[in-house]
Amino acid sequence: MFKLGLILMLVALVAAVALGLVNSRTAPIIAVQKELEKQNAMNEVAASLSPGDSLAFDSLSVSGLGNPYAVCDNTLDVVKVSVPPDTSRIGYVFIAYGKGYSSTIQTMVATGLEGRVSNTTILYQQETPGLGANVENPSKLIGSFNGLIPSEFILKNDGGGIDAMTGCTITSRAVTNSIRTGLEAMNEAGLFTDRTDESENPEGTVMESSTEGGVE
Amino acid sequence: MSLVKDLTNGIYRENPVFKLALGMCPFLAVTTSVENALGMGAAATFVLICSNFLVSLFRNLIPSKVRIPCYIVIIATFVTLVDMVMNAYLPDLHKSLGIFIPLIVVNCIILGRAEGYANRHPVINSVADAIGMGIGFTMAMVILASFRELLGNGTWLNMNVLGTAYQNQPLLIAILAPGAFILLGFILGFFNILEKRKGGGQ
Amino acid sequence: MNATVLLTTLLATPESGSQGFDLGKMMAIIIASIFVNNFVLSRFLGICPFLGVSKQLDSAVGMGAAVIFVMTLATLGSWTVYNLLLVPMGLSYLRTIAFILIIASLVQLVEMILQKFSPALYKALGIFLPLITTNCAILGVAVLNIDEKYSLGYSLVNAIAAGIGFTLALVLMAGLRQKLELADVPPALKGKPVAFLVAGLMSIAFLGFAGLGG
Repeated sequence: MFKLGLILMLVALVAAVALGLVNSRTAPIIAVQKELEKQNAMNEVAASLSPGDSLAFDSLSVSGLGNPYAVCDNTLDVVKVSVPPDTSRIGYVFIAYGKGYSSTIQTMVATGLEGRVSNTTILYQQETPGLGANVENPSKLIGSFNGLIPSEFILKNDGGGIDAMTGCTITSRAVTNSIRTGLEAMNEAGLFTDRTDESENPEGTVMESSTEGGVE
Repeated sequence: MSLVKDLTNGIYRENPVFKLALGMCPFLAVTTSVENALGMGAAATFVLICSNFLVSLFRNLIPSKVRIPCYIVIIATFVTLVDMVMNAYLPDLHKSLGIFIPLIVVNCIILGRAEGYANRHPVINSVADAIGMGIGFTMAMVILASFRELLGNGTWLNMNVLGTAYQNQPLLIAILAPGAFILLGFILGFFNILEKRKGGGQ
Repeated sequence: MNATVLLTTLLATPESGSQGFDLGKMMAIIIASIFVNNFVLSRFLGICPFLGVSKQLDSAVGMGAAVIFVMTLATLGSWTVYNLLLVPMGLSYLRTIAFILIIASLVQLVEMILQKFSPALYKALGIFLPLITTNCAILGVAVLNIDEKYSLGYSLVNAIAAGIGFTLALVLMAGLRQKLELADVPPALKGKPVAFLVAGLMSIAFLGFAGLGG
């Protein structure tokens, strides 16, 4: 009886050692890949903030920033975008987390200083293939986000102006609402108060008028 | 103990999915696209070959009473290996297969062949059996995935086959959960007809 | 042990501290795991016993009960081992091995208990009892709980709900198949094919739950 347990333990030990070895080889590669993926995504979304320039991303610690993503056990991390060697910010990038139909969808959002979304991309989703999974296609839903301000992130089904994807209300709602709550948290922390600073934001005046029209 | 027989057994005569009804869970879940089916098939075949090899190699050393847990540890180790290597070198496939990579552990085919064949046959035969079963499993998945991807998405291996007009209004149910069940039901019925014909023709 | 301390422990994850006890979230998990994302009809986990044991209503209920029991205990064991042992030691890649060993031991335990206290059910379940070890649904729910980063409390709720969903699908299937035995099915479709077609129709019905619970 004891011998049987010992043999099982031996097998398990050999297995654990083998896995430990492989893990030490693959874990760094996986970590590097994840980081690279994130960098690529950030470059892709933030490109529209300053086309043609190479960008620098620095994480911001913002006091007073609430965490609307605590419900799905994630944190709202804001990254500041700047064009080196200038360190002044030209916009922000953050990841929005929303509980979709069958997964927590991660959307990377780039916004300008005035809170207007410049581009989004889906980082992770495990929604229904052929239906919710199509949210990755920019022409389906996230394409309509460009240029919108936080209060406009509501589906038509919920009284707003954004068209959900056909047959994928849950997925569409998850993405849309998660972006809105993230933007609202950033707004409340005072990140979007730079709209009056015209030297940093040439679109300042345009923003003012459309804000009035957008708030209904 | 013909080697060729062991090899070809799993492809039709004892096809793990259609004849032995093993490995249903990943079979139905992963066949939303031919690409996923091939990826899963390759991963499962790799684990099957490795586990059959080791189980057969140590068949006289592992005591009978504790053999099932031992087999499970061996299988789980290879599955974790596949998981780590895929995550590092094939991240997109790893993302698509998602939770079904760790679930290769409970793929009844692997434990079934270890318990039902590899622990009683020499190494070479066991490996041949594993290859055959793996090919059979992959083929079965590609067949179902072909139906599901063509009908539900209009593509095959991501190549546009039925045209963009079809892609705007595909038979979505094929790619959703019910489609897998229904299409499998019809495929099994088709195999039943084939069997009857063979039996009647004698 | 103080009730508050117990509750806080149940609801905490080592990473993010207490997740609190949100009744809404609990209901959402329950409805999702039983109906919207039913483990059998939607996630394709647990098909082997679903087909194998669903011919008789009594064995279906018995199997369902056994699965709920194993799922809950397996989740308890796997969550604890993962979050309190593997992760702090940086050994999270050993989770598959650890989980499956926990499940295998639990199934052995259930076998012994059933053999002693309910030999009739033990006989009825036959080979499918040890096969609970390879029931994708049990390993599936353990892994899903980790991936969704649920606290222990929510994980247990999810496990029980998943088990109930599995039992529901199993019992419905058993009832239908008992009727199917007497129906006039085309010879080519008799047996497994028509069972899958019926499962497909059930799956379509369960699709109707999408959106329930928000």
